[in-house]
Amino acid sequence: MRPRVLSWLTLVVVSLSVLVFVAVDERSPATNADKAYALATEFACPVCQGQSVAESDVPVARTIRREIRVWVDEGRTDEFIRAQLVANFGEDIDYTPAASGVTSLVWILPVVVGAVALGGLAVVFRRWRDEPDRTANADDEAIVAAARRRR
Amino acid sequence: MSNSSLGAASVALGLAAAACAVVVVVMGLAGRRPGWFREARLLTWVMMFAATAAVVVMERALITRDFTVAFVAEHGSSQTPALFNVATLWSALEGSILLWTLVLCGYVVAVVLKFRTQGDDPMLAWALLTLFLVAGFFFALMVGPSAPFDRFAPPLGYDGPGPNPLLQNHILMAFHPPILYLGYVGFTVPFAFAIGALCTGRVGEGWLLATRRWTVMAWGYLTLGIVLGAWWSYETLGWGGYWAWDPVENASFLPWLTGTAFIHSVMVQERRGMLRVWNLSLVISTFALTILGTFITRSGVLQSVHAFVESGIGPWLLTFLAVIVIVSLGLIGWRGDELRAPGKIDSPVSREGAFLANNVLFAAFAFVVLLGTIFPLIVEAIDGRTISVGNPYFERMTMPIGFVLLFLMAIAPVLPWRKTTGEVLSDRLHWPAWIGAGSMVAAALLGARGWSPTLAFGLGGFAGGSALRQVVLATRRQGWRGLVGRTNGGMVVHLGVVLIAIAFAASNAYVRQGEFTMAVGDTAQISGHTLTYEGSRLTEYSNRTEKSARVLVDEAKVYEPAIAQYPFAGRTIGIPSVRSTWTDDIALSVLTFPEGSGDTVVLRATVQPLIVWLWIGGLVMAAGTVLAVVPGKRRRPTAPTSAPPTSHEVLL
Repeated sequence: MRPRVLSWLTLVVVSLSVLVFVAVDERSPATNADKAYALATEFACPVCQGQSVAESDVPVARTIRREIRVWVDEGRTDEFIRAQLVANFGEDIDYTPAASGVTSLVWILPVVVGAVALGGLAVVFRRWRDEPDRTANADDEAIVAAARRRR
Repeated sequence: MSNSSLGAASVALGLAAAACAVVVVVMGLAGRRPGWFREARLLTWVMMFAATAAVVVMERALITRDFTVAFVAEHGSSQTPALFNVATLWSALEGSILLWTLVLCGYVVAVVLKFRTQGDDPMLAWALLTLFLVAGFFFALMVGPSAPFDRFAPPLGYDGPGPNPLLQNHILMAFHPPILYLGYVGFTVPFAFAIGALCTGRVGEGWLLATRRWTVMAWGYLTLGIVLGAWWSYETLGWGGYWAWDPVENASFLPWLTGTAFIHSVMVQERRGMLRVWNLSLVISTFALTILGTFITRSGVLQSVHAFVESGIGPWLLTFLAVIVIVSLGLIGWRGDELRAPGKIDSPVSREGAFLANNVLFAAFAFVVLLGTIFPLIVEAIDGRTISVGNPYFERMTMPIGFVLLFLMAIAPVLPWRKTTGEVLSDRLHWPAWIGAGSMVAAALLGARGWSPTLAFGLGGFAGGSALRQVVLATRRQGWRGLVGRTNGGMVVHLGVVLIAIAFAASNAYVRQGEFTMAVGDTAQISGHTLTYEGSRLTEYSNRTEKSARVLVDEAKVYEPAIAQYPFAGRTIGIPSVRSTWTDDIALSVLTFPEGSGDTVVLRATVQPLIVWLWIGGLVMAAGTVLAVVPGKRRRPTAPTSAPPTSHEVLL
């Protein structure tokens, strides 16, 4: 099976090089418009149900989009823009829950639950591995025989 | 008789029939008189008649604009076009509950017809009892807090506002909700049989096999309903997006996630007799999540935690949900000993091991979505703060899960049951893996940059290759029969999932949006496309006035996004226009026509690649589901691989 090993090796090398290439070779740097759009998707439109600032067409959303664009053009950081918007419109404009205080739970809980689930699986598999294989007893044989007869 | 009285009478008849059916089945079960179960079947028809009559009366009221019915006065209008007049039924709470009840009664009738030869079976009786109780609850909602036939005294010349304008400007609104409901409500059937299995103690594979196709069909409808909903929002909301992780979308996605886990893990139980408690929990969660979703979206709890008490329907749904969860958990605890699985999984690298991993991932996915959806409510309840959880959270948390799921989708279909060797894997995965690597190379050559979308293309190609390999092998072996049956149909569904995953990754990563203020003759550039504004025009319709902008795209064709004014509803909405090709979409919407600056328009253009493949992927998934419920090759009952008995045998 020599050729196949070679083929798998080639495949791994090709895939990794492509991934490294696309990660390193940034396409044309994001324009200010792109940055502003990406930021706008991270904030809730203050007067809509379930639409972000980027999505909504209502006047206030358009005003906020313009503000974000101005800040981006001025070269402000994302943190600055976030702080400004939260100060002006309240905490619930920010779609990203803070990683501190009560709201950090939304980030931590899934990780904890995931870890517990994986741990549980590992324990179960260990128990299964240590359990001896069962053999059929007389009852089982009878069930199989009955099924055969029915056929 | 007026529509109000007729409708109210129908609803009352339905409630009475459901209540009688419950009593009859309970007495039959208590007195061990199986003959009584048959009597309950007659009552099913009465329920069906009552629900149909109520819907017909409501539609008649809507079509004839009978404003003495409060629902019609609030949501109908003489200006609504005919098709959307019919669809007004599901544009608001009371009508939606009515539609839900009709679909549920349809399912109950189908169950009664399908299992008519097993009328004496106690498991069927318990399942029917559960169905009657659920149906009774929905009829009760319509008698109580969500009465669709309340009266209204319209003043002379009264006309209603019509449904929300967003719900009456696209044909998909006529199909998305009913199909979604076919999915939601369909999960009541496997749930009912799960309860039946728990109550009778026949917790083996019987109930699974009996409801196998029902579950797959419900899942297929839910899938199609969600995709149509995404399509609708893309075509009508004008923001160039199709999925926003908003609570209403999440409410439909949650049962889809647990339902998807369920239709995979049942195969482990059928083959190996394992995961009994898990499967029961999944099907119960799926049903409970459909109710929770209705609660979240219909009770007003989203505006504020405290608003739902005033909504009337909120406390009812919450109580119902609590009853479902408590009764189900109680039953599982009670049957705990009998639910202990006899088998074991030999190796994690096996088909059943992969299904287990799939389930853990889908459960984690559902947990993240559920937590993100209800977290703002929890925080508000704890310390009164209002916070939001949106896009950034869901994307960050679910992207890794999505990648692992795609990888698993590539490996799992070729894994044999019990255990495998490296050689088998190397042999079977060789070509699929190269398809994956090839997709990455091709994507990079076509200009894809950034590791995460490229990885998604690679894993998508890998998973697609793997599914394709199974389809090719099966059709080579069995001809056209290689396309039908659960396994083969399932592979077609996988192909649809791959299309959606790739289109999702591409459109998310490479979206470009721009806002342009243009006078007549002005030209704008975005993502290699040229937009030219050619002027505006005004059109009058029966229910709205549209001002549209004529935009020449790539000097080839004119598209006309518009702003529509609905005088009766007192609302203005945007009507986007989308240019679709196989490779990319340009979604155009008018933000405003500024006053006093001549013929100028503020236009928003969103360019995204591969959007059309989302809808194609959804259709492929639906087609795969249909193929999956067509009976495939029959396995002989005594064939060596832990043969599942047929549902008929088990229920006898």
